Amino acid sequence: MRENHLKILQYVTGIGLFFLVGLHLLLMHLAGGDPESWSSVAQRAASAGWLTIYILILIFGIYHGLHGVRGLILELSLPNRAVKVLNWSIVLIGLAVFGYAIYIPVHAF
Amino acid sequence: MEKITFKVQRYDPDKDKKPHIQVFTIPFKHGMTVLDGLIYIKENVDNTLSFRSSCRMGICGSCGMLINNLPMLACHTPIEELKKDTITVKSLPNFPIVRDLVADLSPLFEKHKSIKPYIIAPDMAEIEKPTAEFLQAQGQLVEFVQFAYCVKCGLCMAACPTVATDKHFLGPQPLAQAYRYSADRRDGGAKERFHETDTPHGIWLCHLAGACSEACPKGVDPALAMQLLKRAIIADSLRLRKKPVPPSVAPPQAEKKPRVAVPEFTIKKPGAKS
Repeated sequence: MRENHLKILQYVTGIGLFFLVGLHLLLMHLAGGDPESWSSVAQRAASAGWLTIYILILIFGIYHGLHGVRGLILELSLPNRAVKVLNWSIVLIGLAVFGYAIYIPVHAF
Repeated sequence: MEKITFKVQRYDPDKDKKPHIQVFTIPFKHGMTVLDGLIYIKENVDNTLSFRSSCRMGICGSCGMLINNLPMLACHTPIEELKKDTITVKSLPNFPIVRDLVADLSPLFEKHKSIKPYIIAPDMAEIEKPTAEFLQAQGQLVEFVQFAYCVKCGLCMAACPTVATDKHFLGPQPLAQAYRYSADRRDGGAKERFHETDTPHGIWLCHLAGACSEACPKGVDPALAMQLLKRAIIADSLRLRKKPVPPSVAPPQAEKKPRVAVPEFTIKKPGAKS
């Protein structure tokens, strides 16, 4: 994958996060009660719409954040072999975080 | 101000482990540049001082130095404009030191060479055996002429915070020149340059600090060129970039008409033969 493809995804996820997190904050504000409690989260995750928003925020957030971290680490004058190790490490960390974070909403659904 | 103090970085690779500062106090004259001061020191105080200079008028880009912690051309920096009695002069950062104020600019030239800084014409036959010059309209020239003023002095590379942390980063000068040649309508090598610059240590590490454009003594604005290069690469990737039109070749010159004979004078000069 060329660097510009990764960068385009960075821009897309950034714009996506702007709208999705905005929507999330708005809906949480309107929800009332205690939206951060375990039962509220599990209740919301039972709906397909909320689950979709959660999954998209998670994918976009993980990609956007880890790509930013990769950009910072790349500035440490890494040789080509270290860049490959970095890329695979970032992918594995991303998958692990996604698997861990998606468990609750998918389990509740 | 009658005297000016120069704090000059000295480094002899055969004797010194690391650079140190030597202080010189010299007479000041109105209109004196930093380069004039260094030349005075070399001619009258210490002839072992090493620095690079040539044209003395901001054209060749040889005398790039770190003057009061800012990368500048020594010949282009009047001492009065610095508004200080003490001037600190060091070799350009982000480059290895050869001796005293002489920086080794070979990393810059190697990176510059890697982006193919020349016209890559689509028609190689025309390049091998040119039949006429390539046409270029004024409007087409304006698209990149600002970036063609680069003198390769290395000040932008010395000012760049990303070059300071990543020695593999191509840097503002080569990336700006990659855009300069790719934007040239006579060129057909944009794809090759995009391939060279679209790498982990390429164009995307530019964070638009803008220090390169601040430092450039020729007003090139490498930061703008790098932004335009990013846009061109993304447009090319999304197939939104206009296909380059092959450069048109000037038509052959028309055959000269026979010269019209000059009419004879109607009033003959006295004594002229009729």
